[in-house]
Amino acid sequence: MALGMYDKNLPNLVLRARVTVFFLGVAFFILMLRLWYLQIVHGDYFRVQSESNRFKQVYIAPPRGEVLDRNGVVLVSNRPSFNIELVREDSPDPERTVRKLAELVDTDPEVLLKRLRRVDRKRRAFEPRLLIQDVSREIVALVSANKYILPGVEVRAVPARLYPHGEFASHVLGYIREIGEKQLQSGAYPGYRQGDMIGQAGIEQMQEFMLFGKRGVQHVIVDAVGVRIENLYYEADRAGHRVTLTLDYAAQKAAEEGLGDLRGSVVAMDPQNGELIAMTSRPGFDPNIFSGALTGEMWSELVSGKSKPLSNRSFQGAYPPGSVFKIMMAVAGLAEGVVTNNEKVHCPGHFRVGRSRPFHCHKRSGHGSVDMHEAIKRSCNVYFFTIGQRLGIDRIHEYSTRFGFGNPTSVGIGTEVSGLVPSTKWKKEYYSKPEDQRWYPGETPSVSIGQGALTVTPLQVARALSAIANGGTIYKPQIIKRVVAQESGYLDEVFEAEAVGTLGVEPWVLEEVRRGLHAVVNEQGGTAYVRGRLPEELGIKMAGKTGTAQTRSLSVDGEGEKDIAWFVAFAPVEKPEIVVVVAVEDGGHGGVTAAPIVKSVMEAFFRSEQPAEDTESTTESETAA
Amino acid sequence: MWIDRRLVLQFDWLLFALTFSVPVVGLVVLFSAGYESQGKILDFPFFSMEVKSPVAARQVMNLLVGLGALIFGLLLPPKFLFRLSPIIYFLGLTLLVGVLLFGTVSHGSRRWFALGSFNVQPSELMKFAVILMLARVLGKTPPVNGGYGLKGLFVPLLIILVPFALIVKQPDLGTGLALGATGCMMVLFMGVQKKILAAVLIFASILLVPTQTVPYKPLVLEALKPYQQRRVMDLLNPGTDIQGSGWHIHQSKIAVGSGQLIGKGLLQGSQTQLEFLPEHTTDFIFSVLAEEWGFLGSLFLLFLYFFLLYRILFVAGRSRDLFAALIAFGVGAQIFVHIFVNIGMVIGLLPVVGLPLPLMSYGGSSVVSTLFSMGLVLGVAMRRSQFAGVKV
Repeated sequence: MALGMYDKNLPNLVLRARVTVFFLGVAFFILMLRLWYLQIVHGDYFRVQSESNRFKQVYIAPPRGEVLDRNGVVLVSNRPSFNIELVREDSPDPERTVRKLAELVDTDPEVLLKRLRRVDRKRRAFEPRLLIQDVSREIVALVSANKYILPGVEVRAVPARLYPHGEFASHVLGYIREIGEKQLQSGAYPGYRQGDMIGQAGIEQMQEFMLFGKRGVQHVIVDAVGVRIENLYYEADRAGHRVTLTLDYAAQKAAEEGLGDLRGSVVAMDPQNGELIAMTSRPGFDPNIFSGALTGEMWSELVSGKSKPLSNRSFQGAYPPGSVFKIMMAVAGLAEGVVTNNEKVHCPGHFRVGRSRPFHCHKRSGHGSVDMHEAIKRSCNVYFFTIGQRLGIDRIHEYSTRFGFGNPTSVGIGTEVSGLVPSTKWKKEYYSKPEDQRWYPGETPSVSIGQGALTVTPLQVARALSAIANGGTIYKPQIIKRVVAQESGYLDEVFEAEAVGTLGVEPWVLEEVRRGLHAVVNEQGGTAYVRGRLPEELGIKMAGKTGTAQTRSLSVDGEGEKDIAWFVAFAPVEKPEIVVVVAVEDGGHGGVTAAPIVKSVMEAFFRSEQPAEDTESTTESETAA
Repeated sequence: MWIDRRLVLQFDWLLFALTFSVPVVGLVVLFSAGYESQGKILDFPFFSMEVKSPVAARQVMNLLVGLGALIFGLLLPPKFLFRLSPIIYFLGLTLLVGVLLFGTVSHGSRRWFALGSFNVQPSELMKFAVILMLARVLGKTPPVNGGYGLKGLFVPLLIILVPFALIVKQPDLGTGLALGATGCMMVLFMGVQKKILAAVLIFASILLVPTQTVPYKPLVLEALKPYQQRRVMDLLNPGTDIQGSGWHIHQSKIAVGSGQLIGKGLLQGSQTQLEFLPEHTTDFIFSVLAEEWGFLGSLFLLFLYFFLLYRILFVAGRSRDLFAALIAFGVGAQIFVHIFVNIGMVIGLLPVVGLPLPLMSYGGSSVVSTLFSMGLVLGVAMRRSQFAGVKV
């Protein structure tokens, strides 16, 4: 029996207890030290950590800024759209609710469940999860009526982008689409979050930071599973700025309708300051489709389809200018003194350089003896072959460069192609074999009439023709007139004319060329005499030039051989207010296909400027204000 | 008669007061940790009432039941415990084997039998059984020449290792380690030869040899299950996996640290009230105290615990009977292990092991068994004079 046993061999319990107390003290001291370390030494740090645990932000997307034309016509705005969302903290059984919802609106429940789960991990319970985007009013009514069996399901009105005129100016306006993973990571979009809709093309992209506005922030206290405990305060959102374009609705509309189903581009510019009055490219697209759900099929058709509707042919299509280039050749020839105003060149219908094959004039029988005026009016190839031969390729290159060819215009609403102006230097750099690097005199005649390796964009042509019209100044094309804060009306940015160069030629040279261009339209025998004149009642005369360029694999879709039909013009001849450039792919003769389009754009432009018909634009500017 | 007037006179009121001072603190902390602003109607055996903190209210019931257990423990005569200890021990072992074979599976481990609405956890019984059995064996064969040798250690270690192995197999590493550590402390209390201690120390340091340096991973970990390995790794390499398995410890450290010197105040702890803190009424109750009462409150509780344990050691030290002294010591050791492991865990010193904080954590079985064992200690204290003169 151990009980009661007590002898001297037993361990000294009192001593042992005391030793144990010592170890006990050490153990508690360790705990105390650690507490001191956490609570006293690093207390501030952990206090901050505990605060950031509980405070979270909910973001509210601001309404995106509107886009207007120069007269206040709304080109892009917002419409209320309805999304069906689920707030998990209000739904006891989210999966069951989603299944019921799917049954009600007749969709595949798996698709909705996938959306529920996809975002489930990162989002907190009070943040609504998007189930169905942009539903019809019928579905809104249906869901609202059945709300009692769908706990946590909410219909939320959100601003959706609205392009009220559909395909109208789609390339200029661009479109918005959810920010991509790469864009987020690129650092180019500071402050943006996943799910934000951002401009991906055109003005929407160019003016993204102006149009986006400032998101609203609701600060909330949340618990560990993200359930909202309390609303703290709200930082109000601010609508995006309103962007007013230089486009003229009427002229743009005429350009769109004029091109119709043709492929090509129309650019209209104010020659006095570079403002773009119209810019269209066909085929176009409806930017509205990007705001909603876009199938992969639709997307690949848009991007890589045969006619490439997303590309803006105005500055992404490089075409040979054809006879339009004779305008520049005339300026170069006169300015360099290789030909005088009165010198006559005999046109037998063909032209040879040394023993080369003959270069033909479009009139096989020849124009006979022609001076500068006649040569422009009738578009005589032999005359310009001759001038080209006298100038040589490098002087042609120099003048082309002065006109802005071979360089992008920096209009800013998309990636531009530069086009190509050949020269001896270019050949040396471009080709690798020595025999290819030489410039042969036989190559110059093609370039002299806007063929060969020479390519330009319609926008470049508009800029160059503006310089002819305004007396020699090259303006940077402008698409934006001003950017204004939507609510306060505070003027954020005004865009002013920006001269980027001059032609550097005597005024009489341009005057002479303008007279020639006037003759093209207004004198019997001019290549656009039949179809190019504006209606008498407007009392406005225009000057222009036709062009019909043969191309091989140079158009946007890069297929086959076809003609580019050009017509370029400005009006009024005396004091030009508008330059219009039309290029039609596969368009036959410029004077036939392109000239009527120019004419209708001009008509629309001049008619909309007349005060008598101003009623429409007043009401629109009221709506805008 | 088990009790006479002399015994009542010798009742250790100080130890009794210390025993209940901890759960009084615990109730205040639980009130905050389990606070529900809506309130809740609770049905008690004879009445119903609306309470703001149902957890604290139920803990009051647990403490009342525990008080009964304490009195019961107080009344059990040591002689009776001495005789009964082998029976309890082998009954415990049988139940442990049984639970491994037929127990209810919960969270991947077999720990209890479901008997109606009650869960019977054999490992709870085993905690006492090992203390009693060891007290009996060590008391009968005290070490000679200043400590146990290899021979003397064989039976005591067997008594510890068999239940330890069975509990770890469930798997319930926390309870197993607590039981093992308690047993080992009892053996150490009696004395172990120095060369054996040295050998153990060397062996332990071999176990800590890293098998992988970054992040540090000691050799001993290879014997554990992956989730257990992960917990230890989180501890040894803090901050590497905040969202994953280290989340509990991370949040607990934030709670403790953000309490600073005087705490955020009752009901003001955001980590607790917004439930960032896991298991805040049970395993992580100390973090609640530390967050809302600060460093001073934490120290206050540590001092209460220290004096409680000090008093238990005092009882053990002056006991005239080895068996009784070892029971008191064993209970003290067990409470200490729970305190140290639990607090060590929530302040990021030790890996996450699910041990409750004695008399603080919410939970019937923990409260009742702790108070029962305190009853045993009070019984030992009370009968001191019996052993002195009277041969039973």
